[in-house]
Amino acid sequence: MPLLSILKYLAILVWSGFVMAPLTWALTTSFKTANGVTSGPTYLPWIGYEPSLAGWRSLFGGAGGIDIVRPYLNSVIVTGSASLISIVLGTLAAYGLSRFSYRTGFVKNADIVFFFISQRIMPPIVLAIPFFLMLQFLDLLDTRLGLVLVYIALLLPIAVWIMVDFFDGVPRQIDEMAMLDGCTPFEAFRRVVLPNSLSGILVAAMFCLIFGWNDFFFAFTLTFTDTQLLPVAIVSLNSSVTPWWSLSASALISVAPLIVIAIVVERLLSRGTLAGAIR
Amino acid sequence: MATIHLEQVGHSYGSAVYALEKTDILFEDGKTYALLGPSGCGKTTMLNVISGLLYPSDGRVIVGGKDVTRMPTAKRNIAQVFQFPVIYQSKTVYENLAFPLRCRGWDKARIAPRVAEIAELLGLTARLGQSARRLTADEKQLVSLGRGLVRNDVSALLMDEPLTVIDPHMKFDLRRRIKQASDKTRHTVVYVTHDQNEAMTFADEVLVMSAGRVVQRGTPQQLFESPCNRYVGNFIGSPGMNFLSVERDGDRLLWQGFPVFSDERVGRLAPGAELMVGIRPEHVAFAKDGVTGIPAVVQGVQHHGNVDVIDAVIGSERLKVKARSSLAVRDGPLRIVLPVERTRLYVDGTLLF
Amino acid sequence: MSLVLNSVSLSRGGEIHLDDVSLRFDRGGLTTVLGRTLSGKTTLLRAIAGLQETDRGTLTRDGEPFGTLPAWKRDVAMVYQQFINYPHLSVFENVAFPLRKRKVAESEVGHRVRSVLDVVGLAAFGERKPSQLSGGQQQRVALARALVRKAGVLLLDEPLVNLDYKLREQLREEFRGLLASQADATVIYNTTEPAEAMMLGDRLVVMHEGRVLQAGVPTAVFDRPASALVARIVTDPPMTIVAGTLDGGRVLFEGGLALDAPGLLAAMPPGRYRFGIRANEIEPVDGGGIAGRVTFGEVSGSETFLHVETMLGEAVVQLEGVHRVEPGRQIGLSFAPERLFVFAAQGEGALLHAPGHGEG
Repeated sequence: MPLLSILKYLAILVWSGFVMAPLTWALTTSFKTANGVTSGPTYLPWIGYEPSLAGWRSLFGGAGGIDIVRPYLNSVIVTGSASLISIVLGTLAAYGLSRFSYRTGFVKNADIVFFFISQRIMPPIVLAIPFFLMLQFLDLLDTRLGLVLVYIALLLPIAVWIMVDFFDGVPRQIDEMAMLDGCTPFEAFRRVVLPNSLSGILVAAMFCLIFGWNDFFFAFTLTFTDTQLLPVAIVSLNSSVTPWWSLSASALISVAPLIVIAIVVERLLSRGTLAGAIR
Repeated sequence: MATIHLEQVGHSYGSAVYALEKTDILFEDGKTYALLGPSGCGKTTMLNVISGLLYPSDGRVIVGGKDVTRMPTAKRNIAQVFQFPVIYQSKTVYENLAFPLRCRGWDKARIAPRVAEIAELLGLTARLGQSARRLTADEKQLVSLGRGLVRNDVSALLMDEPLTVIDPHMKFDLRRRIKQASDKTRHTVVYVTHDQNEAMTFADEVLVMSAGRVVQRGTPQQLFESPCNRYVGNFIGSPGMNFLSVERDGDRLLWQGFPVFSDERVGRLAPGAELMVGIRPEHVAFAKDGVTGIPAVVQGVQHHGNVDVIDAVIGSERLKVKARSSLAVRDGPLRIVLPVERTRLYVDGTLLF
Repeated sequence: MSLVLNSVSLSRGGEIHLDDVSLRFDRGGLTTVLGRTLSGKTTLLRAIAGLQETDRGTLTRDGEPFGTLPAWKRDVAMVYQQFINYPHLSVFENVAFPLRKRKVAESEVGHRVRSVLDVVGLAAFGERKPSQLSGGQQQRVALARALVRKAGVLLLDEPLVNLDYKLREQLREEFRGLLASQADATVIYNTTEPAEAMMLGDRLVVMHEGRVLQAGVPTAVFDRPASALVARIVTDPPMTIVAGTLDGGRVLFEGGLALDAPGLLAAMPPGRYRFGIRANEIEPVDGGGIAGRVTFGEVSGSETFLHVETMLGEAVVQLEGVHRVEPGRQIGLSFAPERLFVFAAQGEGALLHAPGHGEG
């Protein structure tokens, strides 16, 4: 047995090294100067290389860099509000699709769900031009509102898809029982079904936030200068000489919220109160 | 086909408490056994030790004279039916039944008659060409059983609550078909269940388990007529056995002042022991032909259809009496008799005789 | 003062679930509805609860129209076959839910919930989540939630069917006591088990394929089933029913057996009939009797049911106690002709004669 656990821990150690290596590499690089980067792989500050804050300064208006605060704020606002709206609308739509039968001609519930998902089958480039023209028509190009609308169109299908699946797993008798206990259908949804679907909502929210946060393509095609989002701003750092230190710092800064989300979601899901409450 | 011998086998899942306490059990060749008990009593642990899904922490498992304690499941030639049907949904019933034989390299000419034979046995002949996905839950469970039976090298058949996912109303039919099939093949069968009726219907011998131990082992009739303690007496039969506190008076036992038992062995009992007699509700008789009997007050009668269950009160104790409804018992006084040959004596909760 | 269904019909996707059902459920009594799977029992309850719309017919309660109200205004409580509770709420909050929804004062909520939990034997489990309870306990929570409201109509859809055998027996015994606080309610209890229907019901309704076959006092239905079909449904193990003719004071069964008809039977007009005999009226005899071969022996509680192949077809024999009877064993059977039921040969077999209690 002890041998087995030693092997287990060894395996975990190796894997952690695998996962942590790129992050460590980015962290050290962000504190290096051009000299430090080109003089081979070194990891220990002051011993391997002379640490410098130049990379980090360049993100906040320092020499040869950008001001990352505005794009960062834009990304937070756009991704956050688009995700929030998608989750609210998606949850409501999914509940309807899970609980009530709709029928228009040959179109039934399963077809409607498919229509939602089919939005994501097309490659982004196909959507880019219509989106561009629509936003132009609405005079919303290069605005946060325009981006929020586009992101809702992209994120809503994900939310609906995940939540339909989740609601289907919540026994229908639970809503029925709530109604017999005196709840209207909407109250049954709010007081009984929703509290039992928090883990589903959490997963859907996580997916929406990750997709939204990481999107580069639409942020790039639908904005110019006023409403730059974080991924676009980072790419614009690249010039004739690649500033590895600035890129590393910005990579770390942009991945940070995702790590926070992952930790929060993991914590919430592992609390038994959310997951597996329903047999 | 083989005997299964658990030699001083015990198992703990890593803690000091044994899920299955050390025990020596022999399952004879060709007989049907039921492991009966509530969840957590150790019955599934015992089954997994036999099948090899679990290596016991103590003792040896001998199947057909061979020590298989550390042998993986696949090599033990044991067929197993689980709570949930395990079948290939995408294949037909025929292909499902033929699969274990194909894996053993049988040629087609040999497979066809063997599959037909097993399908006939289980009443699946008409379903052979159908896709397994289309079967009802009970038919799927029969196919799982068939996949185990079709091999001719099976030494034992293990069933772990195979009726769990079956609609309560289909259970009778499935139970009958499994029973008939296992009776015909004469495998050694070990059947795990928490349902008394299933165990008593199925098995030549029942092992009643509780808290990791076999409490009583015997034929269904023995368990019913001479349960070894109050637990078994209550668990087997419906309603359970009546247990009545009695006092000793020389060689006699008095219940509420009425003599109910007389035997010289009673006189030899150590003083201070807690004495009880047990009698099944159906064995309580009504006094007639000049016998005085024990006066009882009827508190209520439950009509079950073919039988009535009478709630009677005698002094400070209650007694259930089962009677055929045609006897038409009315509320009011009643005189009952506890036939001596049906009365069991329990000393400190354990059957004496 | 009652719940009345008048010619209620309901079908979905071409399948008939309720077929012209007219029933009256009185306040303060327990009615058991007995029927096999898919007999329409569950649909009946769902229609009363307002969970399923009816196609035709009316529902009234105390003379007021009831069928047009939405489910949440019907004052109906229901317990399902599956153990359905609110997973996110503690046992206490589960039971308190319908009271809180009705804005009952907090002090009264606490009092009522605690007293109901006490009745169902879960006083110590108020803080647990339903998922931390055993199946039997979960079903008690569901029952407590239905009881706490003192609803006008209490519907129970095979509430014990998914419980272990011994637990079922225990809860069945406790049931009347559990309902003691609901003296004013109309209680409807669905079951597939004749014994359960018999012992719990003040009244018994027998359903089959969406229709009501018979309704009445349980012992009356058991003693005088309206038809051969009802007789089979209300008897467990099923009544053995054999076709035959009555002629000149003799019963001639299909399969060849002939018996002298007892007094009342002999007085019936000659002709073709169906004859029924209950399993507890058939006895195995040593030597002689109707020759039979045991095909299957089944233990049920404290009885053994033998399925026996005879010249009359399959007969079911009920033996008291637990016995081991090997399949294939030859046995002789006998029964008293006085205990025969006589049903019409046509259709569902209307009852023509039932043995009385005094006979035989």
